[in-house]
Amino acid sequence: MKMTWFQPRGPKLTLDQQQRLAQLPQPAALGPVPLRRQRMVVLDLETTGLHLKRDLVISIGAVTIEHGAIDFSQQFECTLNRQVKVTESVLIHGIAPSQLARGLPPAEALLRFMEFAGDSVILAFHAPFDQRMLARALKKELGHSLQNTFMDVADLAPMLFPQALIHRGGLDHWLDYFRIDIPQRHHASADAMATAQIALILLNRAQRMGLERIDELNQRLRFWKRSRQAALHSF
Amino acid sequence: MSKADAFAEAGKTAVMQNIHGTMEFLRKFPPFNQMETPHLAYLVENCELRFYAEGDCIVAPEDGVVEHFYIVKQGRVHGQRPHSAKRGTETTFEVTVGECFPMAALMGERATRTAHLAAEDTFCLLLGKPAFVKLVSISSTFRDFAMRGVSSLLDLVNQQAQMRAVESLGEQYSLETTLGELALHHPVSCLPSLPLGQAVGLMQAENVGSIVIVDAEQHPLGIFTLRDLRRVIGTREGDLDSPISTFMTQAPFHMPPEATAFDAAIAMTERHIAHVCVVKNGLLCGVISERDLFSLQRVDLVHLAQTIRHADRVESLVLIRNNIKQLVDNMLAHGASSTQITHIITLLNDHTVCRVIELAVQELGDPGIEFTWLCFGSEGRREQTLHTDQDNGILFEAADAAEAALIRGRLLPLAERINRDLDTCGFTLCKGNIMAGNPELCLSRQEWGRRFSSFIREATPENLLSSTIFFDLRAVWGPQEGCEQLRQALLDEIADNRLFQRMMAENALRHRPPVGRFRDFVVARKGDGKATLDLKVQGLTPFVDGARLLALAHGIGECNTLERLRQLVDKRVIEAKDGAAYEEAYHFIQQTRMQHHQQQARDGAPYSNRLDPDTLNALDRRILRESFRQAQRLQAGLALRYQL
Repeated sequence: MKMTWFQPRGPKLTLDQQQRLAQLPQPAALGPVPLRRQRMVVLDLETTGLHLKRDLVISIGAVTIEHGAIDFSQQFECTLNRQVKVTESVLIHGIAPSQLARGLPPAEALLRFMEFAGDSVILAFHAPFDQRMLARALKKELGHSLQNTFMDVADLAPMLFPQALIHRGGLDHWLDYFRIDIPQRHHASADAMATAQIALILLNRAQRMGLERIDELNQRLRFWKRSRQAALHSF
Repeated sequence: MSKADAFAEAGKTAVMQNIHGTMEFLRKFPPFNQMETPHLAYLVENCELRFYAEGDCIVAPEDGVVEHFYIVKQGRVHGQRPHSAKRGTETTFEVTVGECFPMAALMGERATRTAHLAAEDTFCLLLGKPAFVKLVSISSTFRDFAMRGVSSLLDLVNQQAQMRAVESLGEQYSLETTLGELALHHPVSCLPSLPLGQAVGLMQAENVGSIVIVDAEQHPLGIFTLRDLRRVIGTREGDLDSPISTFMTQAPFHMPPEATAFDAAIAMTERHIAHVCVVKNGLLCGVISERDLFSLQRVDLVHLAQTIRHADRVESLVLIRNNIKQLVDNMLAHGASSTQITHIITLLNDHTVCRVIELAVQELGDPGIEFTWLCFGSEGRREQTLHTDQDNGILFEAADAAEAALIRGRLLPLAERINRDLDTCGFTLCKGNIMAGNPELCLSRQEWGRRFSSFIREATPENLLSSTIFFDLRAVWGPQEGCEQLRQALLDEIADNRLFQRMMAENALRHRPPVGRFRDFVVARKGDGKATLDLKVQGLTPFVDGARLLALAHGIGECNTLERLRQLVDKRVIEAKDGAAYEEAYHFIQQTRMQHHQQQARDGAPYSNRLDPDTLNALDRRILRESFRQAQRLQAGLALRYQL
């Protein structure tokens, strides 16, 4: 068992890694940037389980939306070198422990992802989960605090397509609704691609509804979530 | 492998997952399925994926020079142009999953001429121009596709068609076929006592090259062939009344029904004989000739034509005509085009018609009047397929109405007989009674002239329909001059009658090509799997009607659709580029139709022009749709020309 609390100066990083960490851009609050100009990274994490404090990130998949399109030349997928037991979740993802053993050391993997993500807005399906898992991993492995804005595709979708009548739907419900066919689901990169395709549809709809800027969209999303909460509590 | 390399490798293959998925998707469609893997990977790695909601404009003329190559990943794209005459826009084409656009604009480094709109929610893969240019330079498959577009795919289709035909031939007819299967016809035989003259008469009647001499129990005693006849006559060694047994070759070579065609071919070559008796348990059950074996390799067209011309009974014609189906199979196998095949079918049909007429005249007696046998419709255009019915009439010269009536009275029984005999030969009787045996279609030249004029002057729907049949006319038998005079008068009259032309144009727009009917997978998913389309009415008819109208309006006497199109190009009525595109499209639809008919014949299914596009492979389906689009363009041109 590793006793990390005996290492007061935080995780061990090489000099090179420390420099790269220092050079990561600082994401600012969302400004009045047109949706088309906003670089977004659509993220999907695979973890050993759903426990936010205990489970580990084992693989990262991400796809970039830039200038309103998914750019095939900017994709990220990486498996993290972890020693884990074979669990149900591992079976779902189909990543064998041997494969994990061949992955990148977690610190390097996370650093590469943060370099890839830069100061982009990060989209994910059930984003709070990915946000908290990633934040915990970054803190532990790099001593870095995650500051990128996260937007939840699972919220954006019912907000922009109320007619779908999907209230607490999973990724599969929405893929079905939009008739998006993705082979090889449950790989981080394939799920990120699936989520990104939904995001393209959502961004198109947002612009048709007159939501032209990322800050407007984010604000609308916050209102929507609040009013949904209110509606739930009023019963 | 060092640790660092292993990491690099892991990262790469992982990123490849999405690239891979997209490559697998593209591999379902030409030309991507023909491209080398590294080239396809290069394409995908440099792509971006965009979404367009229904109605969104994807690329339009206003956007200027085209900067991207688009592949439809999901959904459907419409090309829209401002409507030629009416207000609003018209859909000019449709692009569906796996297809690309706008190739011509991209290769021509210009803007598109058509706005491309999402017809439904659509995802497109976009390849930027620099990557497109690079791909054109590295991949010869992609380059070929970019330069020649759909035409480059046509070669592929033709190769496929040939392979299919070869396969079917290989199954049905090979040198492994047994003699029992080949010698299906009852052998021509006679008793040894039959006089030579009568035996030869029998051979002539049965149209065979040999006769087997048998005893009362059908044991073969000898064989007499055309070669023997030549010897008998050449050496004057006997007379026609001597019994055949004195001239026959005794103890003819024979083989059991289980022997193969190959065995027989070897035996014939070794023994210098042209006929092998097929004998089972000592009894004659068939004869195989060199010609039977020869026809395994290819049915000789010249020979077939000669046999038809020399058939002495309608029944023999029926037998000979069975060979035509096999001929078509053979020709497809040898890479013949649908045009060549329709021409040959027309040629053989013409021979059959002539022979049927000659036989009827022989039998009923010469009516003593010169007459011309006319044919109309597809027969008139030389565009018949195996699936054909009668459209014919008779033209004769008469001084006045009284004489015409008199002549008609004499010709009609003959005409009726000819119609019946043609039916026996497989030319189905015309449901609309467009047949020479109909008194209204057995007319003098003046009567025909008046009839045609009335079609032009009184443009009722019936008359318009009639004009689409009768104005494609041709003389098959008898003097040609009357028919040509009739045609010239027709052309003169139509050239002056703009109103009639306009009515014909309206008529030509009746059958709209079913583009959009088959949206590949969408139709099937909606449970509309039984959707079929009519290759003839919806595919060929627009071309036929369009070409007829333009030809008649511009004094072109030719009836064949492709020939009409060529002459229209020569006269600069249509652009050479359009003419070539129409020809290619017409050709492809006709080819598809013929293959469809051949398949039905093999399956023993009734002939039909209706095809379920889902039964075609992706490539055929796509080219077929492209071809229907050309029909749509031709119609749009007519609408513009005649302000419809």
